[in-house]
Amino acid sequence: MSGLTAELVLGPARSIRRATIIWTVALAVLVAATVSVWPAFKSGSGVSRAIDQLPQGVVQAFGLEGFGTPAGFLRGNLYAFFVPLLLVGMAIYFAGSLTAGEEDAGRLELVLTQPVARRAVFAGRAAAALIGLVVVAVVTALVQYGSDAQVNLSIGTARLGATLALTGLLALFHGCLALAVAGLRSRPSLVLGSGFFVAIAGMVVALLFPLSAALKPLAGISPWNWAFGGGPLVNATAPWRYLALGAPAVAMALFGVWAFGRRDIRAA
Amino acid sequence: MAPTSRRDLGSLARAKPVAGGVLTVRGLVKDYGAVHAVRGIDLELTRGEILGFLGPNGAGKSTTIRCILDLLRPTSGRIEVFGMDPRHDGVAIRSRLSYVPGELRLPNRVTCGQVVSSISRLRGGFDSRRRDELAERLKLDLGRDTRQLSTGNRRKLALLLAFLWPVELLVLDEPTSGLDPLMQHEFVGLVREARAAGATVFLSSHVLSEVQRTADRVVVLRSGRVVAQGTVDELRRRARQRVEVWFEGPLPPRLGEVPGLVDLAVEDHRFTASLAGPIRPLLAFLAQQPVTGLLVEEPDLEEAFLDLYEEKP
Repeated sequence: MSGLTAELVLGPARSIRRATIIWTVALAVLVAATVSVWPAFKSGSGVSRAIDQLPQGVVQAFGLEGFGTPAGFLRGNLYAFFVPLLLVGMAIYFAGSLTAGEEDAGRLELVLTQPVARRAVFAGRAAAALIGLVVVAVVTALVQYGSDAQVNLSIGTARLGATLALTGLLALFHGCLALAVAGLRSRPSLVLGSGFFVAIAGMVVALLFPLSAALKPLAGISPWNWAFGGGPLVNATAPWRYLALGAPAVAMALFGVWAFGRRDIRAA
Repeated sequence: MAPTSRRDLGSLARAKPVAGGVLTVRGLVKDYGAVHAVRGIDLELTRGEILGFLGPNGAGKSTTIRCILDLLRPTSGRIEVFGMDPRHDGVAIRSRLSYVPGELRLPNRVTCGQVVSSISRLRGGFDSRRRDELAERLKLDLGRDTRQLSTGNRRKLALLLAFLWPVELLVLDEPTSGLDPLMQHEFVGLVREARAAGATVFLSSHVLSEVQRTADRVVVLRSGRVVAQGTVDELRRRARQRVEVWFEGPLPPRLGEVPGLVDLAVEDHRFTASLAGPIRPLLAFLAQQPVTGLLVEEPDLEEAFLDLYEEKP
């Protein structure tokens, strides 16, 4: 990596170092603390019995099916909402703050008036956001595997790996959406707002639409459904699910880079 | 010499000398929706020249500069810097120029020295003795955190970054705003040294005395249009002169009909007025009158520009 490329990527990555550490620690603590409850939960079946008495729709909506099993426990406590939502939020925040946020604050001007290509600056920031996401996702995965081993929470390595990969890809998808919007417009509120709107709307569609016979066919439009619709903690994941999240993510990131090269840069 | 990562911009600049025009702007228009920020600017900057770029707030100075730097895309018109189009050859152009923005926004939680190092990784190596000399002259502590910098100190850092690399063109947008008079004086010295080293300077400023001391030529903008250009002396001559005349007896009756005389005020045997335009008709008229005294005050640059700024379209 040349000095120029390193500066374009590692410079922005340094600026989110603190945030990356905070997100990493938060997710690691969430995962480790949740998994540490498993032995006590397994031996006492009160919660499972209570869940069994809930209406089936509620159980399904909140991802609580099979809550007494290792896979159900992890899905209900971590991978139905919390971990994906936190990673998605982090990806949107990193992508938006390093591009539209910095531009809005006037801090991109110093870099863009140097002898570097405008699109290279944007691509470098996209890469820095990706580094932040990968660091948090990898540490979360390691903590998950390590915690599971500690308490004998037996989930197949491949199943857990697929779930973690799909969670990371879902976050990447939304981060790249934020990049695409930031390439078009420099307003941080628009970038963050559109990213979070799609994330929340997608989650609602994936979780609630299947409860209605009329809406159930539409659940497939949600990226959350692409990621978790096949039950990756229990079933083998079809390859198209990775592609459905990864391919648009790459396309949106490239679109953001392209669009950023065509428009005016906002003044401080 | 600090480590050079990919190229020495000084040698790059020296390798491609530009014989005549450094900057050419033709019919530049920049609209923001219904707002017309720049309405058809033409200007030329030749090698080794210092051009003062003046105008009231909102005249379109910064917009023009941002178009030159390819931060903004013109609605229409043509810009050439070193004979190249900023949109397509932005990297090559920016490798040969330095820019001081109107307001420098810096990354947080880094020192001034780290900002210099970071920019050097984008531009190439720099002479560390030159950096230290500039920091000394500008009285800038390179170890200070950017969050603790006052407006003046941020400006000093911008100037250090602009004058650290030996470039062919300096684009300076309000470079002394927030600086004390001593630092303004130091700035003038830096500009003169850069010019002596062969640099061309495009200086947007509100400080007229600074323009008067440094600029060879001035372009004045108002409402997105060039309303005047020429040397400082030429523009000063365009401004109204203050005239005071004493007569032996009563004032001549047709005094008010002399072309160019405005704002006449009469007191006993004396009158004062402003003279807009050539003085010849007034002198011809006065030659036939019993004049005992005549005072014509040369307008200063400030008056000249206030006239231009306030002129009705």
